[in-house]
Amino acid sequence: MKMRFTIRMLGAAIVLALVTAPASTPARAQTKDVKIALIAPLSGPWARQGQLMRMGADMAIDEINQSGGIKALGGAKMVLVVADAGDSTEKAKNAAQRLLAQNPELVGGTGAWLSSFTLAVTEVTERAELPWLTLSYSDLITNRGFKYIFQTSPTADRQAAETVPAVLDLAQAATGKRPKTVGILMDNTASPVSFAKPLREGGLEKLGLKLVVDQIFTPPLSDATPLIDKVRSARPGFLLLPISSMPDNKLVLEKLDEFGLSKGRIPVVGNGAPFGSPELKKVVGPELLEGLLFSVADWGLKGQEDIIARFEKRTGEPWITQDSITAYGDMWIFKEAVESAGAAERVKVAEAIRKMDLKDGPAAASFPGPIRFDEKGRRVDVPLIFAQWQKGVPLTVYPTDRALAKPYWVTE
Amino acid sequence: MKDPPASKRQVWAIAGFALATLAVAAAVGNSYYQLVLTQVLLWAVLSLAWNILSGYSGYFSFGHAVFWGLGAYTVALGMIYLDLTPWISIPLCAIVGVIAAALIGYPTFRLRGHYFALAMLAYPLAILYVFQWLGYQEVTLPMKRDAALLYMQFTEPRVYAGLALILLVATMLISLRVENSRFGMSLLAIKQNEPAAEAAGIDTWRWKMQAIMLSGALAAMAGGLYSVVLLVVTPETVFGMLVSAQPLILALFGGVGSLWGPVIGAIVLVPLAEVLNAELGDVLPGIQGVVYGVAIIAIILYAPEGVYWRLKDRLGRRRAAMPRPALHKQQTAVSVVTLAPARPAAEGELLVLRGIGISFGGLRALDGVDLTVREGALHGIIGPNGAGKTTLFNVINGFLPPDRGNIAFAGTTLTGLRPNRVCRLGIGRTFQVVRAFRRMTVLENVIVGAFVRARNDLAAEGMAIAALERVGLAERASDLAGGLPTKHLRLMELARALVPRPKLLLLDETLAGLAHEDLADILGVIRQVQRDGVTVLIIEHTMQAMVQLVDRFSVLDHGRLIADGTPDEIVRDPRVIEAYLGKKWMDRVAVAGT
Repeated sequence: MKMRFTIRMLGAAIVLALVTAPASTPARAQTKDVKIALIAPLSGPWARQGQLMRMGADMAIDEINQSGGIKALGGAKMVLVVADAGDSTEKAKNAAQRLLAQNPELVGGTGAWLSSFTLAVTEVTERAELPWLTLSYSDLITNRGFKYIFQTSPTADRQAAETVPAVLDLAQAATGKRPKTVGILMDNTASPVSFAKPLREGGLEKLGLKLVVDQIFTPPLSDATPLIDKVRSARPGFLLLPISSMPDNKLVLEKLDEFGLSKGRIPVVGNGAPFGSPELKKVVGPELLEGLLFSVADWGLKGQEDIIARFEKRTGEPWITQDSITAYGDMWIFKEAVESAGAAERVKVAEAIRKMDLKDGPAAASFPGPIRFDEKGRRVDVPLIFAQWQKGVPLTVYPTDRALAKPYWVTE
Repeated sequence: MKDPPASKRQVWAIAGFALATLAVAAAVGNSYYQLVLTQVLLWAVLSLAWNILSGYSGYFSFGHAVFWGLGAYTVALGMIYLDLTPWISIPLCAIVGVIAAALIGYPTFRLRGHYFALAMLAYPLAILYVFQWLGYQEVTLPMKRDAALLYMQFTEPRVYAGLALILLVATMLISLRVENSRFGMSLLAIKQNEPAAEAAGIDTWRWKMQAIMLSGALAAMAGGLYSVVLLVVTPETVFGMLVSAQPLILALFGGVGSLWGPVIGAIVLVPLAEVLNAELGDVLPGIQGVVYGVAIIAIILYAPEGVYWRLKDRLGRRRAAMPRPALHKQQTAVSVVTLAPARPAAEGELLVLRGIGISFGGLRALDGVDLTVREGALHGIIGPNGAGKTTLFNVINGFLPPDRGNIAFAGTTLTGLRPNRVCRLGIGRTFQVVRAFRRMTVLENVIVGAFVRARNDLAAEGMAIAALERVGLAERASDLAGGLPTKHLRLMELARALVPRPKLLLLDETLAGLAHEDLADILGVIRQVQRDGVTVLIIEHTMQAMVQLVDRFSVLDHGRLIADGTPDEIVRDPRVIEAYLGKKWMDRVAVAGT
């Protein structure tokens, strides 16, 4: 009887909490805040990436407000509205729909990290004419003829097309000769698949490279031995690793070491921000990572020293990653757009972003290349970034004018 | 079988539910709430579709995502590659669902219980990889700005809720129809006792296949509409574990095997999860899952069978508290016993077994059994434990295919036929341990047996009532079978076997475990059955009763037929006395004879 009573009280408490929770959100109607959305996975397998984005966005918002808010609107404050994209496309889409329904005055937003989530979120934001920035790589995002989506990263196709030539240049500069053979070891999730497709379909051939080992696995990887065994017998000039999840990376890197292929015996090139995450260092250790190169859309750059220092001090993170720096930059892009639009209105802000051409200021400093978008919503003149693990820290090494360190080509 | 007014009441309830939903949809302006409403309705459809297979037949599916996902991809890929509008492709999903269900059901229904559930789990996970391999990691439905209506791309979110509601109401009506027809009754019978259902002439294979095909079709259509709402299809979103778990969770919460359970589950849990995501997702990420889990655990503690059954039991108890009309005093079939003795056997041979043999591993359960049962006879089979008596019945009615030999029944070969076919040919049987459908009423238990012969469900009910009267159990028609004493269970089983008017009745130790006074009643019924022209083959231990009852004996020992003859001959046959009856019995016969 007592048990039943307890359960009932518990149930009542939950219901009460749920019913009263929305009502307790304070109304902020009197000040004309400029609301910007961040939709990112804050729970589930990608929660860490979402947290990193939030840290960057929070820092930008604080800096903008401390330096007097949006001047064109009489010092209006910028406010970040955050929603959890969770672990599924459905949750991400619901989050977008909810933010829009509950915040009709929303001016723009950024997210949602995973390209599937971004695709779903932008189906909602596009219909609401809400300007949306994203760091997701997928070409599909800006191939749908949408007018309100702006992709700050070079798309997956471009990354694929530019990664390998840049690696060859690096190798030539360091050793005087170009590798002749290459291997690909990848999982079959969306972004590695779109990365590797153009390479296989003639991309490598054009560069005079022979694909000597080509292995695809379905994550999660339980044992990397058979894969690495093939790599060992094929002995490619370098190995491309488009792998999206940390545990799989760990397995592959450790197995390479076990087979005596690490430390530059076969140079390894990754793609994507997870290759530079502090967690990877924690699980794999700095020795195995030394010399590992990876291409990425955005990383700590020359000209961002102040931002990086402030970020590290504020958050205690060992270095800034793509997720934080782009979210930081996205907030500044919105700030600039609202300033030049002179109004906190979606369509005008979107128009301002379309016309934008920034070469300096915090927004421009946050990204490689200028802040200028083409008619598809892709940034133009964006160089691909390479970072390399050097003494336990992934440092930007390419392009040279924004690099924080000199690259080296690891050799035996 | 629910009486028609109850079914009509349900239709009104569904209509009321639809109107209420429409009212909510009209009243809510917020586009986000509209989206959640649409999702509630779609998940309810999936859960109901799951319920048609798993709730009614008891075959739990952990893999309904396979149908949902195929539907979603049918719509998405149809639109991308064939420029097919969802108005056409969503109905097409039904066909895709049926085909997938047929391909899946065919091999998987060889398994039962947990094995079936686990095998179902494999399909969506396997097909997830197939779609990844095909390169459909991220598929988006192209935006059609100029032909929005044609491609189901409405700016007004209420329209999606309306479409989902139409699908849900259709699914509810289909469920209702299934529940109140021989389809649902057969599935319920399968859930409670599959061999008994099969022996009662229910083609369990056919009903199970129909159930999974109907279920697959509905789930695929819901998945198709889901992709139109979500606009992005990825293998993880539509084939993932969570999709397969969702209909289960909703139905378990609301009440498995009921029309309203899955709907209640969807109405409560889907918005709850959303509210938790919305209110707690950015404050304490991850806590929403914990609260959701706690809510489900609380409900399971409070209402283990689901909310619907809990409510129904409550209301039912209140109703039960009202005075019920007193039952008539139990009428027995004693009067029958006093009637004339059994008539002599007719000439024709009804059942002929030649050289029947079957082995289990090294054990020869039956070895070259030849047996002839004459039409109109009351033929007894006796033998010590393990002699192979029940095995012999299982071979005759098709549960076990014999290794050797053949069986002819009224000129037709039985060997290799499935039990429900054998039943259709006119062989009924009862079981050593009564196989009742415990959560069905006595009448429903018997109706299940009538489906073989009845043209429609009404006729089945009439036949069942007649059969119950024949065995003297008519007054107990509306009692739940689970609460009956042994004698009544035996009579009920007898009625179930009799209702399709068999030519031959196989009775497996029908007299076992009965009190002496009950024995006479049952014997009377059996004699009456024989007088009505039904040939009876009966297995028994109780020698005394058998000697009174039968007009011919066969004796089995170690899988072999060692004697065959009239009761008089058998009790005098030295082989029988030695092998089975023992010396003591011979002495008694000798004393009685002098």
